[in-house]
Amino acid sequence: MYYLGIDIGSLTCDAVLIDDSEKILASSVVPTGARNREAIMRAADEVLRSACISEKEVTATVSTGYGRKRVEGRLTAVTEITCHARGIKALLPGTRLLIDIGGQDSKAIELDENGQVVDFAMNDKCAAGTGRFLDAMARALQVDIEKMSELDNGARGNLTISSMCTVFAESEVVSLIAEGVKVNEIVYGLNRSIASRTLSLIKRIMPNTNGLPIAMSGGVARNSGVVRAISNAMESKVVIPPMPDTIGALGAALIARERYSHN
Amino acid sequence: MILQHFENQESGIMNAIRENPESASPRKKLALETARLGKRLYSNTDDLVWAGPLIPFDLLNAMDVTPAFAEFIASILVSTDAGPLFFENAEQAGYASDTCGYHRMLMGSALKGMIPTPKLLISAMSPCTGGLAAMENLARVFKKDLFILHIPQKESDHGVRILADHIRDMAESVSSHTGKVLDNDRLRKAMENTNKTREILSDIYTLAQQVPSPVNGRDLSNFGIVLPLFFGTEVGIEIAQAFYDELKSRIKANRSGVPGERIRLMWLQNRIQFKNNLVKMLEKEFNASIVVDELNVITWDPIDPEDPYIGLARRSISSPLNGTVERRVKQIVKLAEAYKIDGAINPCHWGCRQGTGARGLIDSRMKEIGVPVLNLEVDCVDPRNFAEGQLITRIEAFMEMIESRPSPW
Ligand code: SF4
Repeated sequence: MYYLGIDIGSLTCDAVLIDDSEKILASSVVPTGARNREAIMRAADEVLRSACISEKEVTATVSTGYGRKRVEGRLTAVTEITCHARGIKALLPGTRLLIDIGGQDSKAIELDENGQVVDFAMNDKCAAGTGRFLDAMARALQVDIEKMSELDNGARGNLTISSMCTVFAESEVVSLIAEGVKVNEIVYGLNRSIASRTLSLIKRIMPNTNGLPIAMSGGVARNSGVVRAISNAMESKVVIPPMPDTIGALGAALIARERYSHN
Repeated sequence: MILQHFENQESGIMNAIRENPESASPRKKLALETARLGKRLYSNTDDLVWAGPLIPFDLLNAMDVTPAFAEFIASILVSTDAGPLFFENAEQAGYASDTCGYHRMLMGSALKGMIPTPKLLISAMSPCTGGLAAMENLARVFKKDLFILHIPQKESDHGVRILADHIRDMAESVSSHTGKVLDNDRLRKAMENTNKTREILSDIYTLAQQVPSPVNGRDLSNFGIVLPLFFGTEVGIEIAQAFYDELKSRIKANRSGVPGERIRLMWLQNRIQFKNNLVKMLEKEFNASIVVDELNVITWDPIDPEDPYIGLARRSISSPLNGTVERRVKQIVKLAEAYKIDGAINPCHWGCRQGTGARGLIDSRMKEIGVPVLNLEVDCVDPRNFAEGQLITRIEAFMEMIESRPSPW
């Protein structure tokens, strides 16, 4: 039996296919774009094709992400928070704090020793410090978003980006460039500003994280510069699971399996 | 335009009940009476006094002076078509967009001449000085006097006596501004009515505590805030009785407010005042019911009709909208225990320092008794900032979390 998890985020749509032994058979990440349904079909198609399985063979599908209610034929829809927690429990058991930064949301999720969600905090309406924030900054810097991870190399790090608002931060970056500030310093400053936002989210639910295993998921976890800044700010190691952007979809697939056998 | 709104509402409800008497419900009764009150406010017939929460409305009712409860009118105006326009008005006039929506709404509509002119305005420093500032602004727009009622923050005999005297001054001021005298017999009768309403309310809240609860998430929304408008009147008793009878009959028929109730919630501070799907979603998808609102609580003893001022003073001081955060948190914990709630939702109303400032203290105390709190950060009054999808995700995740853990009770 096969179980499919689909995570429809604001920037990407991810799918993960697992079998009865919870083995990951395939995963995919496609841009969400303007048409949700197409992205959902494409992501699902990709995993099915690479695992050589037909749609009919899928026993149950669970969807998550902001577009979770748009997936047809689903067994149920579950929020990203529960799915990310479930996904990380499978890949990095024992994690007590999960930081998830996606396209337009950032979340801090506190887990108990069994991997159950105990508390969580989400960013306010504003997308500062999320994937979209980084996108906008990469545009302002005229650099490739994929390269942002390493662009802070060698920064001395005394620059702070003071604006929290994406629009203002963008103009702050533009004026820094005009002033001749080096790109690596700006990127470092940006990473630190994301880290400080994330830290205040975490502190709201977990004032003390000393010695607790911390992990990070979501697309932004692929940006090692941001991860470094967050772990510096927290003075703790932040562990990144393989394919961090598909943790939500993996959690959804695992929940599909559990709920199906439960029913 | 607003008068029309209330007239339509009144006739709409009456027609609906006439056509289908089965459809009569306590919620409709409350809506009908508030529409009638609204009509009186806008008909130019009554002597009006604008007043904020914590002002003894029953005293005004006893004087035949109609209380225009500022926050209540603001929440009604929000649901009219002109709502967004009023907010824009206030902002264009320089009222900062991050102030409380109740006050922005009041200012915007006052500047447009959309709220009725009173004979006097009365405000307290509680629950918030923002409310006082709004009333000062309104007094200037209306060119009328403002009476400030100083409510002590701490409950002490001394404080009660001072406030009792001050309420007497307030009554005199109302008298001199409206020409209405306070008749002792009427005051006594009003206090008896208040006590009767209080008694029924207390019974209602006791019924609501049952597991499963006979109330659904909508029955008692805004109840503790709106009902005081009718304190001291026969109508107040009738409304309360209608709710009591309904809950009693549900219990008799073994009918819970939310069929198959699985999750019991508390709503902190005030509800979202404009139309939204959150409460229905809670009921439908999670069999979750808001069984108690923080403000649906009786913190005061019956008032002695022979010496009402002391009792009125005690009531205002003891309100959850007054006093220290510590007292507020204690009260919330007491409710959590009495109603056996699985979780609490704090809207953290945008612009409200009174409500949001206490957030960390509420969270940590509730954590101690094993009840999680969800902080929403939503503007409860201004729908222009409403991101329903985001809120639904938070609430759903909160429900999933509650479902996966053992009940705290
Ligand atoms: S919501 Fe807060 S700021 Fe607004 S009137 Fe009430 S206490 Fe004051």
